[in-house]
Amino acid sequence: MKLNGKQLFLSIILLVTGFILSFSYQMTEKQNRSIERNNEWKREDSLRSQILAIQKSNQELSGSLRKMQGSIAKKEKKLAEQEQTSYNMVEDLTKLRLLTGDVKAKGEGIEVTLSDASYMPEGENPNDYIVHEEHIRSVIDELLVSGAEAIAVNGQRISHDTFISCIGPVISVNGTQYPAPFVVTAIGDSSTLEKSMNLYITDKLVDEGIQVRVGVNSEITMEPYLTEES
Amino acid sequence: MWLPVLSLIIGLFLGYISELRIPPEYSNYLSIAVLAALDTLFGGIRAQLQGTFEDKVFISGFFFNILLAAALAYLGVHLGIDLYLAAIFAFGVRLFNNIAVIRRLIISKWNDNRKKA
Repeated sequence: MKLNGKQLFLSIILLVTGFILSFSYQMTEKQNRSIERNNEWKREDSLRSQILAIQKSNQELSGSLRKMQGSIAKKEKKLAEQEQTSYNMVEDLTKLRLLTGDVKAKGEGIEVTLSDASYMPEGENPNDYIVHEEHIRSVIDELLVSGAEAIAVNGQRISHDTFISCIGPVISVNGTQYPAPFVVTAIGDSSTLEKSMNLYITDKLVDEGIQVRVGVNSEITMEPYLTEES
Repeated sequence: MWLPVLSLIIGLFLGYISELRIPPEYSNYLSIAVLAALDTLFGGIRAQLQGTFEDKVFISGFFFNILLAAALAYLGVHLGIDLYLAAIFAFGVRLFNNIAVIRRLIISKWNDNRKKA
């Protein structure tokens, strides 16, 4: 009986000891696991903060990108304006070149033929019945005023330094002599040029005893006038 | 002899499957309880081997030691001193002492048996 009681006490003690031991073991394991979970949480947190930092830097970068794009747009606008200016300049240059006769000209236009009077009454001054330089000049002036882009006399381009002079029965244009009839060709809006020719100058020329014929040509080609210095 | 072994196994099993949770700040108490239990157990074994085993001393020692250790730890927590370390130290030293005594007793017993044989 005494032995039994001893054994009973011993078993109770062992029961409690075993319980405490395994409970402690299990507790420690759980704690370790929760520490691991804590570490995971920390990892997640650091990853999240990394993401946040990256997002922030992304935002900054996109902001600077927007700024750069803005400056690029400004520069492009400036460039476009410059291009517009240069385009206008090139256009002006082309017009001026046409006027000075430096380039080949091609397009619709009119053809004015001035010839001496075929009939000259007896006893009259023959000077009153032939084409003079001023007639050609007035035709050229009229054509220029009406917006002719390029003018030629008998195929000789008229430029800013062209000289037309009368040498007896012939007329010299840029030093080249031409007899009558004189063909003045002008490139430009053909209907405008024709109207301007018929306005009064034709009548005036006819009055002065010159035969005038105005014709519209849809395709005129003019060779450039090349001076010796150019 | 089977009853103590069975109860030890049952205790281990119960402790392992128990879903009881204690807050982490009380884990000090648990470690002290573990040490106190082990100390008492080995003390009991030594007493048994020396022939001075007494039930009352053993039982009261077991529970009293655990309670004293817990009280010491409690006091330490409230005083801001790690007093439970003192309990752990005391129990650890005693544990080693007891185990050393048990070892010597077992060796001398074994020597006696050989001489007899």
